[in-house]
Amino acid sequence: MNASRKMNAPVVIIGGGIVGCAAAYYLSKSGVQVTLLERSVLGDEASGRNGGGVRQQCRDRRERGLAMASVRLWQELQATLEPDIEYRQGGNIRLATDEKRLSDLRCQSEEELQDGLPVEMWDQSELRRRAPYLAEIFLGAKYCASDGMANPLLVSRALGWAAQRSGARILTHTEAFQIEIQGRQVTSVLAKDAQGEFVIETPQVIHAGGPWTPHLSQTLGVVVPIVPARSSLAITQRMPRLFDEFVSSHDLGVYARQAREGQIHIGRSVSEPGETFDQTTPLPTIEKLARGAAQMIPALRGSNFLRTWTGTLENTPDGIAIISAVDGIAGYLIAAGFSGHGFCLGPIAGKLLSEWLVEGEPSMSLREFRLARFQK
Amino acid sequence: MIEPVEIVVVGAGPGGLSAALAAAHAGAQVTLIDSNRQPGGQYFRQPANELHGEPSRHQREGQALWQQVQSAGVRFWAETTVWGATTEKILSLNGKDVPGTIQAQAIVLATGTFERTSAFPGWTLPGVMTAGAAQTLLKEQRILPGKKILLVGTGPLQLVLAAELVRAGAQVVAVLEGAPIFRNGARHLSALWRQWERIAEGANSWLTLASHRIPYRMGWGIVSASGNQQVERATIARLDDTWRPVAGSEEQIACDTILLGYGFIPFHALAQWLGAIMTWQPELGGDIPVRDSNMQTSVPGIYAVGDGAGVGGAALALVEGEIAGIAAAAQTGHQTGRAAQRIRSLAPALAREQQFQKMYAALFTPGAGLYALGNNETILCRCEEITLAQVRRAIALGATTIKEIKSITRVGMGDCQGRMCSHLIANVIARETGQSVNQVGMLRPRPPLFPTPITAIARTPSEQMEVAHP
Repeated sequence: MNASRKMNAPVVIIGGGIVGCAAAYYLSKSGVQVTLLERSVLGDEASGRNGGGVRQQCRDRRERGLAMASVRLWQELQATLEPDIEYRQGGNIRLATDEKRLSDLRCQSEEELQDGLPVEMWDQSELRRRAPYLAEIFLGAKYCASDGMANPLLVSRALGWAAQRSGARILTHTEAFQIEIQGRQVTSVLAKDAQGEFVIETPQVIHAGGPWTPHLSQTLGVVVPIVPARSSLAITQRMPRLFDEFVSSHDLGVYARQAREGQIHIGRSVSEPGETFDQTTPLPTIEKLARGAAQMIPALRGSNFLRTWTGTLENTPDGIAIISAVDGIAGYLIAAGFSGHGFCLGPIAGKLLSEWLVEGEPSMSLREFRLARFQK
Repeated sequence: MIEPVEIVVVGAGPGGLSAALAAAHAGAQVTLIDSNRQPGGQYFRQPANELHGEPSRHQREGQALWQQVQSAGVRFWAETTVWGATTEKILSLNGKDVPGTIQAQAIVLATGTFERTSAFPGWTLPGVMTAGAAQTLLKEQRILPGKKILLVGTGPLQLVLAAELVRAGAQVVAVLEGAPIFRNGARHLSALWRQWERIAEGANSWLTLASHRIPYRMGWGIVSASGNQQVERATIARLDDTWRPVAGSEEQIACDTILLGYGFIPFHALAQWLGAIMTWQPELGGDIPVRDSNMQTSVPGIYAVGDGAGVGGAALALVEGEIAGIAAAAQTGHQTGRAAQRIRSLAPALAREQQFQKMYAALFTPGAGLYALGNNETILCRCEEITLAQVRRAIALGATTIKEIKSITRVGMGDCQGRMCSHLIANVIARETGQSVNQVGMLRPRPPLFPTPITAIARTPSEQMEVAHP
């Protein structure tokens, strides 16, 4: 180890996805000079490869509050970040092709209204009227007007670069490979970049390494139950403006949104089997995306796919994130395992982590997201 | 669902035709795929129909080779694109009356190249086009690209194209050769040994140009093009050794058409998708697959030949194709005893063409100055209309890699998937951020390789789409 390469930081964030970048953004706004380590470039993994939906409806009740709080942050971020992150609240339509799905949606809508999230149930004729671009196979839908979308390619980078301008040290192409503790306190992070290995002395680590989190947490003897899964997307060539909503059907297994430039993004709304880090896009998956898109939105039958890509989801056993301290290790916070919801929740997760470190506790309860829930 | 095939050859230019013929002669079942209506590729490109005049010598050679390929029993799928590929040797196809997915025992990639361009002020004006586009017009339709034509670029193909244009009745105002051949040429003369046909073609073209008193200026290049709605004139200048214009040497030249012939970039996406290890060889055009002496890539059963595996011209492609065809057939069980000896017998021809390839690369690889011509308003990505200023803004915000710059500016995200602009962007970013092109990296194409109809990908006719539960 090269002794001349030693730095220190009050907080080291491991992982430059949306969660790590949002934490860096809010911490540096509070005057904390964080160092962020990213093994590739900012927002290169699932944060930059997801469908771009920012959705509060149809969520697990335990994370509904976070999603609603995050949407308020999204509005602020849209007004302040550069480059423009293309966030807009075009609404979210969750579709049903059968009565069972429709009644499930109706039950969920009652719970959501109780929790203060304004949603509407649409019957077939209302759906036809409000979203005439959808195929006639749907019986109805649930709609949330304050949901929306943003451009995943831009958000993490805009957050990270803004943090950098406020004094954060953003080290890309730099991989953390060990977290060191003395007694029961984090003391340093070992990392490597093109010049070799180096040490960052720090009393506080935020570990936001997505599906790769378990590999590094293992160096501390901490077991984090996150498994990878493949998630693939496709986009069409530019098309004339067709719709503003983010639409999805679990029956067809697809979702779609039209980006600001006119391309239509299509993704799989159901998880693919297999715990894999493989990021090639399977040809049968591309076929499924094409078929589902063409079934959901008839106008797409005349369109061309321009490109497909694949990212890696980070799934926990109960499908919600781990935002948690670890019993017995001071100075170690984990924020990972967002199970496909990290894009929407990234800003609030970053803000709460920042509050946790700056003010001693987050302004919203993170009880449901404790790591210890898996150790019962 | 997946149709098994024995040997598939992708691309029906010289390398692909030669590979298909050799494999079929050895007894293999060969399927040849090309996105064009007719086989031949760019080199053997055929007239669109009989109305378009007498075929040229290259066209007659191509016809003869094609006749041999047909009588050897090769199955040809025309107007078929390969839009996807996986490491299991599975190819996804889009074409009429062809299976949607095939799985091959061996694959020969003969996918050719796309053309290197330069983003100088005015390069997006109507009237500026690539030399290849002009050649296609001329070969297929017998149409001249313009009236007063300026050729800029590098390499002897420029001479040949200029002579063809003159013979077809165009006025060629000048041919600018960027490379300082007189300064570097002498030490490569031995590579011309036994290249009589090329020398004859070159000399013949040269005589045509000389007899029409067309200026051929070595060590000169274009700086900018201008005109109202359309090219009216070009500013040209003498170039230094790195191809940067020498200040004060600028001249104006009137023209309505500018043809860019800056060489070729191997189209290697399929090799990458099939799992082949790539190597960065700028003098051979950029990233190319690593190959053994049988033209096999790092993946057993995947072969790569011709310009797409390293720019080297049609004659080299013919030899490489023959070797790969023999090797692929041996691999699927045909004439396994004779293959090694037959491949050895091709060694002298291969060595001769490789030597020519080396000379060509040493003389005609553009210098970094080619990518320093743009100003803030110059468009780098034509599909998305992204200017150099936008790329510079992204760099100022914090972007350093091609990935980040792509996501911020949308550069390279358009319909061409970066085929046109990837090398331009990489070189410009390298210059602007002080990195090497290799560090910056190229855009990695994602399937589908070309924009492909959703209905073709879904393989479901429109009328069968109205099913609620797939």
